[in-house]
Amino acid sequence: MNISVSHITTYNYESPVSYSHNIATLKPRTLEGQKVLDYKIDISPKPNEFSERIDFFGNYITRFSIQHGHKTLKVTAKSIIERDYSKVRESFFSEKCKSVTYSNALEMLKIISPDIINAKQFILDSILVKNNTESMHSYAMESFKPNRSVFEATNELMTRIFTDFKFVPGFTNVSTPLSKVMKEKKGVCQDFAQIAIACLRSIGLPARYMSGYIETLPPPGKIKLVGTDASHAWFAVYIPSFGWVDFDPTNNQIPENQHIVLGWGRDYYDVPPLKGVVYGNAGSKLKVAVDIRSI
Amino acid sequence: MTPEKNPLFKDYFKEKSYDEMFTTSKEVKPSWLPLYEKINALGPEALKNRQEELDWLLLENGVTYNIYDDPKGLNRPWNLNSIPFIIHNQEWKLIEKGIEQRAKIYDLVLKDVYGERKLIEKGIIPQEVIYAHLGFLRQCDQINYSFDKLLLIYAAEISRGPDGRMWLVNDRVEAPSGIGYTLENRTNLSRIHPGIFKKMNVQKLTDFLYKFNDLLTSVAPNKKENPNIVILTPGSHNETYFEHAFLASYFGYPLVQGNDLIVRDGFLWMKSLNGLKKIDVVYRRVDDAYVDPLELREDSHLGVAGLLDVVRRNNITIVNPIGSAVVENPGLIPFMPAIAKHLLNEELILPQIASWWCGQKKEKDYVLKNIKKLVIKKIDKTNRESIHFGQYLSGEEITKVKAEINKCPYKYVAQEQISFSTTPTFSNGKFEPRNMVCRTFAIASPKGGYTVMPGGLVRVASKPGNVRVSNQRGGINKDLWITNDEKPVLENSYSFKQQNIAFTSGLADLPSLTAENLFWAGRNLGRTLSIARHMRVVLNQLSAHQSENIRPDSEKIITLLKSITHLTNTFPGFVEKDKSGKYALDNPITELHSLVLDEKRPGSLANTIGLFSNSYFAIRNLWSADMWRVFYDIKNIWDKLSNQEEPTSNAIVKSLDRLITRLIAFMGLIEESIKVDQGLLLYFIGLQMEKSLLTIAKVRSLVVHKHDDYTDHELLILLLNSHESLKLYIHTYRSNINIENVLELLLMDIKYPRSLAFTLKRLWKDISCLPHSNLGELHDYERFILQAIEQLNAQSIATLVEIKPNSYIRENLDSMLENVCGLLFNTSQTITNRYFNHSLKQEQLVSQNFTNN
Repeated sequence: MNISVSHITTYNYESPVSYSHNIATLKPRTLEGQKVLDYKIDISPKPNEFSERIDFFGNYITRFSIQHGHKTLKVTAKSIIERDYSKVRESFFSEKCKSVTYSNALEMLKIISPDIINAKQFILDSILVKNNTESMHSYAMESFKPNRSVFEATNELMTRIFTDFKFVPGFTNVSTPLSKVMKEKKGVCQDFAQIAIACLRSIGLPARYMSGYIETLPPPGKIKLVGTDASHAWFAVYIPSFGWVDFDPTNNQIPENQHIVLGWGRDYYDVPPLKGVVYGNAGSKLKVAVDIRSI
Repeated sequence: MTPEKNPLFKDYFKEKSYDEMFTTSKEVKPSWLPLYEKINALGPEALKNRQEELDWLLLENGVTYNIYDDPKGLNRPWNLNSIPFIIHNQEWKLIEKGIEQRAKIYDLVLKDVYGERKLIEKGIIPQEVIYAHLGFLRQCDQINYSFDKLLLIYAAEISRGPDGRMWLVNDRVEAPSGIGYTLENRTNLSRIHPGIFKKMNVQKLTDFLYKFNDLLTSVAPNKKENPNIVILTPGSHNETYFEHAFLASYFGYPLVQGNDLIVRDGFLWMKSLNGLKKIDVVYRRVDDAYVDPLELREDSHLGVAGLLDVVRRNNITIVNPIGSAVVENPGLIPFMPAIAKHLLNEELILPQIASWWCGQKKEKDYVLKNIKKLVIKKIDKTNRESIHFGQYLSGEEITKVKAEINKCPYKYVAQEQISFSTTPTFSNGKFEPRNMVCRTFAIASPKGGYTVMPGGLVRVASKPGNVRVSNQRGGINKDLWITNDEKPVLENSYSFKQQNIAFTSGLADLPSLTAENLFWAGRNLGRTLSIARHMRVVLNQLSAHQSENIRPDSEKIITLLKSITHLTNTFPGFVEKDKSGKYALDNPITELHSLVLDEKRPGSLANTIGLFSNSYFAIRNLWSADMWRVFYDIKNIWDKLSNQEEPTSNAIVKSLDRLITRLIAFMGLIEESIKVDQGLLLYFIGLQMEKSLLTIAKVRSLVVHKHDDYTDHELLILLLNSHESLKLYIHTYRSNINIENVLELLLMDIKYPRSLAFTLKRLWKDISCLPHSNLGELHDYERFILQAIEQLNAQSIATLVEIKPNSYIRENLDSMLENVCGLLFNTSQTITNRYFNHSLKQEQLVSQNFTNN
């Protein structure tokens, strides 16, 4: 299945800024079940400097700076992606994946091998997922039992987050502490993903933050409106001897073809779609429009 | 006489300790013998005198250290003990090898963890020790540097262990301080002990400093010749700011802050008076996380956005490279033997403290069980606040620390508590044994390997028996002397300042923040002087008129009081009632004293002196030693006055007298100590600007209004007095005092340096020398100052003093002065905009208040 993604971010500054340095994580990465066929980024005004690199986690980082006065910054990222995730998804339900119990996993994580060492850094505290409270540990332990399959238990954890937490846009922002989200049980997809990550890390399992998109389908009989899609986030757990498995707690589902991966990191901080430093006293208004369609 | 019976060492042997000067049988060690003999020859009185002389020298040279979180902490005098710490060269050679080995290892570890990460992959270093360390910056991964070493400066802290060997106890890598202090210690100590210094053949430090300069020059990207080097400081509130300024002036490099720099077109530039100047090497004293608000800590105002990208492009060299803090990491200690074996196939030369990393279960259990006899540290943040000495913890604190360890075991390391050796420290007329730690430095040598400084910064505990040694805790410093049996051979020395001239000469290259600070130093100094003089006149007049704190009945006094409100810009003040209906005129003494002493009140003399001090410290790398002495005097006069409880007006006037003479001395020194192209021009512009503005304010507030003849006459005298011009007036005019002549002298006399005409002309002359002046078309600021001069000369004195019938105001005079004043403000504003525009702050596109701790 081929999917087109258009992600337009617009900043309108109250007064002109003379200069800006920016970093974007908007180019989707290629992975098993996902291939990037085409990608373009268009920046207005035209940047004086532009470069791309691959970061520590293997994500594409775009850096640009605009060295003259501007009142509006508009970044349009468009890509065509071939997404065929069904095989990968099927493998999650395989015996190889499902048979790994929680106690097996903890035991296997002690092995010194490049894969395990690499995965284990995702158990450590990160900038937004840290100082996890006892409540996250006990919340996780309701699903995790020593002889229970990690896959099954994580699946249940996902469902519980989906059921227990309310999707309330505007209640949180990027710097809302996770403990508050846990207490109030409210937030958006980033928060839910990070709650799950905190829970998994608190019981010693590697978990990472997935940044991307999800295609929403219009109600039956209606035409899909442009720009109603959004940036999305979910999480993945590392199952030793199998690998990473994705879960989407916002939609209570294991991603298939509607999910498109941009990149991943320890939490949102590692993969913000766009950030920057501007010179000037800039109050700004942000507008994001994402549009995803099957083609 | 045996040391035990020596009165100077009375009580020294009371407490058992392993000592540097004495053997266990209380005999003097041979390497210390010449010093011991000298101490005895001098005796307690001469020793005291030398210590006092040393304290005085340090104070006079302005050697300071800032203590955080202490209102009196800024610019604490540096505490140096007159007795050095001695290591014989024979032993030092081995220590040197050990330090060099450590530097080599850390260099290779840095290259590995930001490169292939074989050490982690092979399990030689547990992944948590690197990945959970706040200093591991994923943003710095896989950068290709154009110079061979990643570790360029390394500071090692050593202490002597119970086995008699020197142990490595701490590492400093991120932005190690101490090189400047060590040099300053040496300069002063060798001055008070010239004979013994020579006799013991102490190794000199200068050669090391030349090599440090060579290092900075040689690491420029693509081996650029004559690179532009700057020193990046967090600013004058940083604890070791003295040293930043010291090194900047020692090497002749500009001292800059984040706001002086900007990233453009993939390069780093310094904003100078004449625009942007490309920078090749940054010797930074700002911590890793703060150097780039784009990619690192968003809330940092100490760095410059985009710097890391310039590093990636190999267009700048940062010393030490960003990300190096990860090896400032006690979590590495238990693994060091294996790391040394793997990387160099060597054993560690210097012993280290037994350490347990709690990320391993067995080790953690041991630590939890034996916590009382251990020292607990975090693997990152090795600063004093997060170090716990088990033996001093209460039961409750132990439970807390244990809980922290259990929550995040891999973040903690515990170390055996060692009783290190003590060294004799002169205190209160006798010697006391104090624990000590010595910091020394290794720098990458362009020829390969590392060069170790033959000396170091020794810190001893503030009290005997205190095991914690830190300058933040009020420690005492010592100079380390590496002694020789014979005179050491000196390598060739050369003058490195010459090399750097290409960059730092010329006004155009002055960093704009420095230029701005000089401008404000001039303005604040001029303001302090004029207000002090005027205040003196007002206080004297009021005292002569009345002794009670009540509303004066004389029009002269009231006008005079109002003038001080105008001059200090502290409305409503004496001019009218404040919002609550209170009128300062009812309590004139209270208001005047507040205007002198209340440092929190904008416009007050105390406040202005504070502003002057701030600009002084911000550019202290430019000032001379004499200036520090006078500045220190000024501060002393002021501190004494403000420490008095409710000083009398008389006492204030006395202090003002002394203040005024010191201010004039200081101004004289500025003119002879700083070169015009170092920015003296900016200082002059600020000074003349302020002088002109205050002359205008005085004339407007005292003579624009017409009173009865007696009052007018008296006010003219007071105006001349405040302007220090009465004698000159009498000499010049030999006549009665009348307004025409007074205005002629104070406003129009082009030959009189205190007249407005003179200061304006001087301003015009100085402004014409700014880098962007005289380029064909006139700049705004040039036009404004020319208009000001025109305005002043447009009308005759006779016209100016005219009063319309039924009016009491000299309108022509008032509006002329008002116009000139406005034009001066415009001049100042346009100069600010053109030359030191820092108003554009770096701001985050989206404010994200994460803390990285």
